[in-house]
Order: sequence, then structure tokens, then C-alpha cells
Amino acid sequence: MLKSQAERSQHFYPGETSMRQYDLVMKFSFVAGVLLLAACGQGGATSDASGDPAIGAVIEARQKALKDTGGAFKAISDQLKADSPDMARIKAAAASVPTLTDSMADWFPVGSGPESGFETEALPAIWENKDDFLTKVSNFQEAAANLNAAAMGGDAAAISAAFRNTGGTCKACHDEYRLDD
Amino acid sequence: MTSEASQRLIWDWTIRLFHWWIVFTIPMMWWTAEQGLMDWHRRLGMMLFSLVVFRLVWGLIGAWTARFVPMLISLRQLGGYVRNLTNGAHKISYGHSPLGVLSVFALLLALTTQISTGLFSVDVDGLESGPLAVLISFDLGRELADLHELNFNILCALIVLHVAAILGYRFVLGDRLIKPMITGHRPNADFSGKALPPNQVGSGALVVALIVSGLSVFAVLQAG
Repeated sequence: MLKSQAERSQHFYPGETSMRQYDLVMKFSFVAGVLLLAACGQGGATSDASGDPAIGAVIEARQKALKDTGGAFKAISDQLKADSPDMARIKAAAASVPTLTDSMADWFPVGSGPESGFETEALPAIWENKDDFLTKVSNFQEAAANLNAAAMGGDAAAISAAFRNTGGTCKACHDEYRLDD
Repeated sequence: MTSEASQRLIWDWTIRLFHWWIVFTIPMMWWTAEQGLMDWHRRLGMMLFSLVVFRLVWGLIGAWTARFVPMLISLRQLGGYVRNLTNGAHKISYGHSPLGVLSVFALLLALTTQISTGLFSVDVDGLESGPLAVLISFDLGRELADLHELNFNILCALIVLHVAAILGYRFVLGDRLIKPMITGHRPNADFSGKALPPNQVGSGALVVALIVSGLSVFAVLQAG
């Protein structure tokens, strides 16, 4: 049987403070919810594309080349995970990377950062530390050339090591010079 | 019920283990992703995958308060339950309250979405990917990774709502929900000695759920 009304209020309602507690909990959960949504939803900022179209073309071209490079890396990583990797696919993907990224040092002319008015994750630090940035670009190009050489050699363990090494040079640059999303 | 059985089992041990493992793992999943510890992210993710598969099977053949069909049926009482909450006549539920059922379904859906998108996700550089990403293109993997990130926010919001509700029950209604989720039990008096379905873990159901869960993990690792 249900308890009587009086018993129940004793059990579940700590006297007259209950409304104040109710208000507090409601306010607390509202504030907590808003804070968490704010913390979680720090999405990327979009800017209107009102800048110099030539700069816009440079940004678009480097984004496409980098995306294609990502696709090539996925192709290699997929094969390295397989029991018997398809060497032809690894070779094709590894060969495409040096071609795609040959002119990387020229991809970041002054004015192609966030101030351009275009959506880009390139950070101003690129132009503040241009020498370091360019060193990291050439480290990557060297690693990508080694990866290509390893792919031509056809030894899965050597490719795997060269792949990890190349990935490390990507990360070295992205950690410092790309907006963390 | 006889008087010596003063405690009643509300949450069987698999449900409690599932619940607290998720409480521990979700912050770890967030942290490993933030730190780029993707090997650990994948390992813990596969563990979560096996647990969620277990939970979904348990919802069909498991202990009474874990089952989905009685939960769905209890939704018919949702209106009355909410009315009781607001007019001060809160009654303790055996298992999930009708409102809790909504929370369980929302959380399980968000978890399932999070895990299934994670299995196929690819990072922006193509260097890291979930175990099933080999089956899909880079572009699709990127889209699922965006969904993985978006859905994490939804999961966060649902967790905040869940914790706020637990606090609300504790401080507004005086109903302590955390202790039963640890010990599994509530005093029989909470249910006025009413006869209720038993809630013990059946060993047959446990074996079936473990096998399905194990096979799912095996299938993912084979396909990937």
C-alpha cells in the first residue's frame, strides 16, 4: 500500500526548505547545462569570404592538396592494417605525396592566414616563425620522399616505419601551426 | 516477501558494472582523443563497443529491470508519473522510472551512435582511423568523424541532464539513486512489500550475451 500523505512528506520532503532546494537544483542544472554546452560546442569559426580572390585561390589549392595527401595516407594506412597489404596501392599512394606537396613551401604567402577573410586553420604563428615552419615543411618532404623510396622497396615493415616517421613530421607542424579543432 | 528479505535487488551486477565502467571510460575517451593517444582511444573504444553490445542483448534477454520491453510498456505511465513528480506524490520505481526510461534510451542511442561513428572515423591527416575505416573512403570517414565530434556534444548534454536529474531526485525528492547503483539494492519497504518480478542474473542469458558481444568484437577486428 501507499504511504499516507503525511508520512510521504516526511520521507521525501525535508520541510519548507524543499522549494528553495528545488530552485537551487533547477538553477544549478541550468547553469551546468549551459556551461557544458558552451565547453563542448567550441566549433570552428567561419568567416565570410570577402578577401582577395587570388589569396582565396591559394588557400583553396593548399587545402585540396592537403586533403588529397590525407586520402593518400589513409590508403597507405588501410593497406598496412591488412594481413597481406596491396603493394601496388601503397606504391601509387606513396608516389602521389611528393608530387602533391612539391611546392608546399610556397603555399603560405603573407596574407593567407586568418586575416585573409577566408576560412583557414593556418595560424599566424606560421608567419611569425617562418624559418621554423619552412624547416618543418622540408622535414616532411624529406620523410615523404623516404616513404616513397620504402614503398618502391616493397618491404612492409620498412614502409610502416617510414609511414610513422612521415606522420610524425605532419604532426610536428600541425601541432604548432594549425588551429586545433 | 518475507521479512528477512529486507533488501531487494534493483540493478544486477552486469548493469552496475556496465554503468560504472562507462562513467570511468567516457572521460578517458575524451582525454585520450585530446592527447592524441589514439591506440588507447581505440582499445578503450573497442571495450565500450563490447559493453554496449552486451547491454543491448541484455535489454532483450537479461535481468528484468534491464529489459527494453517492460521499459517501453512503462512509458504509458509517463504522464501520470510526471504529474506525481510535480504535485509532490513521487513514488519510487522498481528499476527505471518512466522518465528514466527516456533517459536510458537517449543515452544508449547516443552511445551507440558515438561508437559506430568512431569505428569508421578517419582523422584529418589520414594517419589515424577506426578499425572499420578501411571499408570506406577518406571523405566518408571524415564526415563520420565530424559526426563523432558532434554527437559527443549531444552525449555530454545528455550526461549533464542525467546527473542533474540524479541531484534533483536526491535533493528535491529525497530519493537516493546513487547507492542502489553501487550496492544493487533498495530496502524492501520502498515498495511496500509488493510482489515484484525477480531480477537475478540468469547464467544462460549471461553466456548468450557474452558470446554475442565477443563475436561482435571478433567480427569488427576481422573486417578491419
